[in-house]
Amino acid sequence: MSAGEGTRTAEAMRYLASRLVTTVLIVLGAMLLLFTLSAVVPGDPATTLLGPQATPELSRRFVTEMGLDQPLYIRLWRFFANALTGNLGTDVISGRPVAGLIGEVLPYTLILTFSAIGLAVAIGVPLGVFAATHRGSVADNVLAFISVAFIAVPSFVIAIFLLLIFAIWLDWLPVLGASRTGAFWDEARRMILPTLALALGWIGFIARLIRTSMLEVMAEPFIRTSRAFGLSRRLVTYKYALKNACIPTITILGMGVGRLLGGAVLVEIVFARPGLGRLIYQAISERNYPVVQGAVLVVVVLFVVVNLVVDLSYSAIDPRIRHDASRRGATG
Amino acid sequence: MTNAHFNRRAFLASVGGTALACALDAPAQTGPRTSITVRIDRDLAVLDPANRTGPWDGNVMRVVFQRLMKQKPNSSELELDAAAEVRQVSPTVIEFRLKPGQMFTDGFGEMTADDVKFSFERIGLPPKDGAKESSYKADWLFLQGVEVKSKYEGRIVLTQPRANLYDVVIADGSGCIVSRKAVGERGADFATKPVGSGPYQLVSLERQKGATLRRNPAYAGRKPQYEEISIRFIPDARTTDLALRSGELDFAVLAPASAEPLRSVAGLTVNDQPSIAYVWLGMNVEKAPLSDLRVRQAIRLALDVDQMLAAGYNSKAPRLNTLLPPQILGHWREAPVYKRNVAEAKSLLAAAGASNLKVKLLILNQANYQSMALVARALLAEIGVTVEVDAQEGGTFWNSGKGDTGKNIDLFITRFNGKHDPNFIMQWFVSGQIGNWNWQRWNSPEFDALYAQSAGEVDPARRRQLVVDAQRVMDKSAAFVWLTNEANTLVYRNWIRPAGVPGWIDWQYDDFGTAS
Repeated sequence: MSAGEGTRTAEAMRYLASRLVTTVLIVLGAMLLLFTLSAVVPGDPATTLLGPQATPELSRRFVTEMGLDQPLYIRLWRFFANALTGNLGTDVISGRPVAGLIGEVLPYTLILTFSAIGLAVAIGVPLGVFAATHRGSVADNVLAFISVAFIAVPSFVIAIFLLLIFAIWLDWLPVLGASRTGAFWDEARRMILPTLALALGWIGFIARLIRTSMLEVMAEPFIRTSRAFGLSRRLVTYKYALKNACIPTITILGMGVGRLLGGAVLVEIVFARPGLGRLIYQAISERNYPVVQGAVLVVVVLFVVVNLVVDLSYSAIDPRIRHDASRRGATG
Repeated sequence: MTNAHFNRRAFLASVGGTALACALDAPAQTGPRTSITVRIDRDLAVLDPANRTGPWDGNVMRVVFQRLMKQKPNSSELELDAAAEVRQVSPTVIEFRLKPGQMFTDGFGEMTADDVKFSFERIGLPPKDGAKESSYKADWLFLQGVEVKSKYEGRIVLTQPRANLYDVVIADGSGCIVSRKAVGERGADFATKPVGSGPYQLVSLERQKGATLRRNPAYAGRKPQYEEISIRFIPDARTTDLALRSGELDFAVLAPASAEPLRSVAGLTVNDQPSIAYVWLGMNVEKAPLSDLRVRQAIRLALDVDQMLAAGYNSKAPRLNTLLPPQILGHWREAPVYKRNVAEAKSLLAAAGASNLKVKLLILNQANYQSMALVARALLAEIGVTVEVDAQEGGTFWNSGKGDTGKNIDLFITRFNGKHDPNFIMQWFVSGQIGNWNWQRWNSPEFDALYAQSAGEVDPARRRQLVVDAQRVMDKSAAFVWLTNEANTLVYRNWIRPAGVPGWIDWQYDDFGTAS
């Protein structure tokens, strides 16, 4: 290994280590915040969950079972100790492990999130490139209008319109977003409308972002130089300009995945589709603290992991980022 | 080794294939339907009778498990189920004899009197060996124990007579008979993998999605018509509407306003049914100025219940004039129907020396309560009472009347679910419920005494009179403005004949059939 390669490897390792430390700190901070919020939120879970059947003795027993009669520091310690060993507690309603409940709905959320983001990228990026390379044309203006419209309309409104058009008027696709039988094709066709509902806003967003970034990059001297060297427009656009224009989009996608993991609740409700968002929403209204804490923690961990991957990916695309970061680390 | 080629042609072919697959609907059933899909609006959580979370769990449990007795189809009258005979041998002793050969699913053997003893005592008696106490212990109030006389025979022994034991216990969720062996073997998993002997068995249960029930071939009783019932958890009423229109859903119970647009849809029947839930505006009698009877009477006279119901329920919910709706034993038919009288309300306030009153009206943050609260605010403004509407989400709202926090309430609108038993409905208004569910903080020894007497009175006529008298006492207090017992609207395919206990809180999946 040459000295230069060794330095680059050390730089990469330092960068990776610094990102990992940051990731762990974010997760721990989020856990602390989560615990604090659960502790201060008004409303007694026993009353909310047990309803008019609850006698005072039953409520007291319930509070004891949930550990809510313990001092805060003991509850905090237990929460951290259990979570770090993978024990997310027990659902106070069903008595089942929270991890099992999350395991049931997580696949629905992951599939929906990545399908929506994947679809948004597959359509939004080419549209953005097209708009940038046809700047000022009628097509560019029409795309701008459609993109802004998609961004502005909330996904649950889009969801209702999609249902009316494709499930009721045209009768092509089902209303309910989850299969009864779990059969692959049935599940796949029930995925189409929820995916579209979530993806449309992101398609508009990505198309606008790519267009703006492409226009900036294409004004850079290295693009002109590449063209002057006789490289084809297609090669310059897709290989050099698009690669550089992707960095802000990748960052936004990382945030987007995080938002969709727990934030697709309205679309999940409209399509009656299981998901983490719905699980959290329901658990909050029931003051089912172990489920809230466990599910939000999973969202946080997934979010920081996705963003770690995003960070690493754009440092791979643009080595200057990695180099700058590790140099800042070295100089304190 | 071949290289996979993915070119434009292959792409178009795969997209076309996918589109075709999407366009093809599920194969339509020909001939009589063997399965139906029904909607529930709360998620199924616990299918163990001792720890169920509400009627949505109870509806599934009552077809997975047998009870000694159960309700006849579309009726609150009882018939024998697991029992060949049930005899009330004294006010505190009930003898039963099981039908032989009733088998628990999953190979857990035949039901015996010992299973009955285990099922009832695990709910009604203090838990043994550190087991969890049942949330429904109060259902088996006064249970001394169940004595096993033989393999199929036993005696339920009470410490005091109970008039409602059959209706709200033996034939309801707390009367479900579980297998002692299965509960022992499955432990906490029994809540999601129940073992029963009823007309259906649970084949799947998935959080946020629902459950699938399949006919139990070993069930010896009346055979359910549908081989399979798919229960889908759909929280949103609009999605339910669309799923009914698209044919993905066969049966749902909706609020009248949500069901209204479906009346014109071909192939669907929309059927209004009175509910046995009860909604009222309550007043905290401990807190000034509401501690003055005249102020409460003034508020009652200033309100216009019909206007409030028009706003909250589009006039689709029947007016309630007393605690118990007409379907319940002891309904007070002659209860006063208060008409709005602003002049008299003002004179009552003047007599009480109350002027420029400011009160808070606590409600749940749901559209119908908000609409009713706004009407109440406008109506009370006319007699000089300023109302601040305090809309809270469920977690905070249901905690509002607890302990000393409840002392701060002025007015509130709330809703409780009922059962076909007057004492079940009356129990939340006794003095012992102050600081718990008696948010009026109304303490009436006379009401308490009538409640206790009616709970133990087994003669229906005498019990009816006691219950009516109790409602008279409530009326005198002016702490309650009864609003409605609501209505449920059933929406279903024309070929379905749904079944449920009147009031439609308890459904009878096993008696769903085909319309003739």
